[in-house]
Amino acid sequence: MTADADLRPSPDLTPAPGGAGGWVESRTGIRELSAALLHVRIPVEARTMYFGGIALFLFMVQAGTGTLLALYYKPTPDAAYDSVVSIMSNISFGWLIRSIHHWAANLMILFVAFHLLRVFFQGAFKRPRELIWVFGVGLLGITMVFGFTGYLLPWDQRAYWATVVGTEIAGAVPIVGDALLVLLRGGTDVTGATLSRFFGIHVLVLPITLAILMAVHLTLVHQLGLANPKKIDPVPGPPTGPTRRFFPEYVLDELIAWYLIIAILVVLASIFPAGMEAKANPLETPPETKPEWYFLAVYEFLKMVPKLIGIGWPMVGLAILTVWPFLERSPEVLMRRRKLVVAFATVMLAAGLFLTGVGLGFFTIPAFLYFA
Amino acid sequence: MRTSARLTALLAAFVVGSLALFLAAAAVASAQDPSASPGVDAAFPAASSDAASPAASPEVDQPGASSDVASPDAGSPAAPTPTPVPMKIPFELVAPTATPAPLIPGPTAPPPISHPSKGDQNTCYDCHASVDVHQETIAAQWQKSVHGQNGIGCADCHGGDPTSDRMGIAMNPATGFIGKPDRLASVGVCGSCHSDPNVMKQYGLPTDQYSKYWTSVHGQQLLKANDTQVAICTDCHGIHDIMKTTDPAAKVYPPNVPELCASCHADKAKMAPYGIPTDQFDIYKLSVHGKALLQDNDLRAPSCASCHGAHDAQPPTSDTVVNVCGSCHTTTEDLYKQSRHAELGPAAPKCWTCHGTHDVQTPSTKLFFHPTPPDYQCSTCHDLTNQTLRIQLTRFTNEADRRCDTCHHQDSDIYAQVAAIYGALNVAQTAYDGAQAKIDEAASYGMIVSDADVALSEAKTGLLKAQAAVHTTKLTEVAPPAGIARQKADDAAAMAQSKLDETVFRRSAMVIVVVILLMSMVALYLVKRRIEHRA
Repeated sequence: MTADADLRPSPDLTPAPGGAGGWVESRTGIRELSAALLHVRIPVEARTMYFGGIALFLFMVQAGTGTLLALYYKPTPDAAYDSVVSIMSNISFGWLIRSIHHWAANLMILFVAFHLLRVFFQGAFKRPRELIWVFGVGLLGITMVFGFTGYLLPWDQRAYWATVVGTEIAGAVPIVGDALLVLLRGGTDVTGATLSRFFGIHVLVLPITLAILMAVHLTLVHQLGLANPKKIDPVPGPPTGPTRRFFPEYVLDELIAWYLIIAILVVLASIFPAGMEAKANPLETPPETKPEWYFLAVYEFLKMVPKLIGIGWPMVGLAILTVWPFLERSPEVLMRRRKLVVAFATVMLAAGLFLTGVGLGFFTIPAFLYFA
Repeated sequence: MRTSARLTALLAAFVVGSLALFLAAAAVASAQDPSASPGVDAAFPAASSDAASPAASPEVDQPGASSDVASPDAGSPAAPTPTPVPMKIPFELVAPTATPAPLIPGPTAPPPISHPSKGDQNTCYDCHASVDVHQETIAAQWQKSVHGQNGIGCADCHGGDPTSDRMGIAMNPATGFIGKPDRLASVGVCGSCHSDPNVMKQYGLPTDQYSKYWTSVHGQQLLKANDTQVAICTDCHGIHDIMKTTDPAAKVYPPNVPELCASCHADKAKMAPYGIPTDQFDIYKLSVHGKALLQDNDLRAPSCASCHGAHDAQPPTSDTVVNVCGSCHTTTEDLYKQSRHAELGPAAPKCWTCHGTHDVQTPSTKLFFHPTPPDYQCSTCHDLTNQTLRIQLTRFTNEADRRCDTCHHQDSDIYAQVAAIYGALNVAQTAYDGAQAKIDEAASYGMIVSDADVALSEAKTGLLKAQAAVHTTKLTEVAPPAGIARQKADDAAAMAQSKLDETVFRRSAMVIVVVILLMSMVALYLVKRRIEHRA
């Protein structure tokens, strides 16, 4: 008996069709796997707005462009800035890769946030999908940490001082603040040690963590199916209303949305390429240091209230957000039957948007409202 | 041939005539214009509407055609460098001989006031802090003052016995109580400690303020005319609320000094007896110095005291003005000393001749020429009585006349030199401005322009050197750095242009990619429709 004979499929397997597909199928059994993954049905009334899928696509864009950037990026204080300038100026299409990475990062946070809001207002997190929500909030957190760690890597003035301010905020956390600050910075100041660990976290720790969380998130979505925003489905059990195919119809819709996102990324990268300020100088504090837009609401809130509240309230808010499905236990999904919750969320959202607008300079807050 | 001979004769006549003029001028000693009250040594004319008119008009030489007068294209860095030849002034320059009036010596500082002391005990404060609101305010001011903070008590200035809480003893002239000293005496009270090295040593303070004060116009006026309106120590430093000069709340903190001086010097009624203009502060506020100090809080910028002195306040004189400006603008001063102007001695144009006094503005190439050449009369440059050339200093009180061609007639050889310097500088400046505009445009498209910025900063260095070299009045000093500036600016402009070309490519490629993506989206949509239709 030869070795080849030992590896042949067992005779009770269904014969595969011929051709390349058959060859692959006979050696992987992928048909069954893809059928399990793709050939599912979703409620006709489900309205995902493709936010989650777009966030997934943007993560793939980030992984691809990030890998290309890592080929040229040098994570040391002496070389980081020049390597990014070189990527933008000397490397073929380096400007495009970095600019897409820059804009895709911003859009990813935006679409993860949109996705969370969609799920919240549609009540799609309700039983039995509580864990999908919890992992989803985890994905939002990981995405924001992605942004925070990636922001430092160009090692320009804006990057450096935003990280100084950002880590100082972390250092103000009660009890563990000092230790957390040293842990984040790799010392008491933002130095090469900070750059090394932010780079390591950005390109190794976070992608792996996010991939695992996303795998669990998507597996749970697959197992439990999409929620119907119009009616309460029995738990457990399949959707009771009319359904449509996930593949190919829904997937084609998603694909069109991804193409639109690529077009938006190309336009943004071409017209507003990622910028660079002067090289980081720890001895020269810029007149105004602000974090990225997605941290502005917390930043402005921190300026308005005493530090303990400024740090504590966002942490409590994040904790409440994470366990929200276990707090709002009613099976109702329609917004008109969740008026109090919807009103509360709308007020919080408006406050967050307003504070972000303050940070961007669109609005000002009267001085008497500052209690810090 | 005949025309040529005539031209040659005319030229010879002109040269001989010029030579004769120089020789004649050299034979005439410069005399002070009778109308000029203080002469060149006087305070330079204030650039103010109600300025007194010093009108010093010393006769000075119009130097002959110097050998380093360059061709108009000498601004190019490739232009041959003319060999500099030391300039010879063909006739003597006589500085005005007006001698300043001798200073009246100030009184010797009295010894510090002595009084009984029991450590920190200060009964004066204990009572006066609760007499009435006025006394309470004084007590509070003293407590916060640098004196209060350092244990200098009431009796140190007012005398008396601070250890007794009985008025009859504490405030008895027999115990040395002097009450409120008059203005003249108060100077002595301050000077009694502040001129004593043994007292001041512990605070690290100088002890020459008292002696300096008596040399100032303020002190001299006080001595000469017993004029108690003049500024004394307490007018500037305060009385009970004296603070360190480094305290931003102090009236003598540098950014507060101009307003402090203006509190008297901008007061028309107070200044009327002295015939001093009162608009200096308003003018200074708008100057490059005033904006830097008052708006930007840049402590390097000069206040009134920086030029006029503080305790020894005097108007800077024409012959010392270079030293006054040069105390900050050291490099420029060195360059000026190499200039033809400096060779003219006391009668020479000084810093203020071109830059003004209280109204100094950021210099630019506009300082070279009037928009249209001034209407020269013979008497503009010549003393008609003896045909000698002269500098009319009053002609520079008007900012619009602080131009090279105010003195240098457009038909003169020196004018050609000025024009060549202007040309070299202007070419560099134009190249710099053009490169800056291109870089700004490229940056507005989000391009990384750091390499072009580096080249432009090198151009800026060259331009600054060239601008500073103008003070030498020598094209040979201006042309090389101006040439480097132009070259670097051209390099920067080329880099910026390549970025602009890149933006065109990016946008073109973007349009093509977006069209392909949109077409793909339409194709996918059609596929989806077909699948749905089939289903």
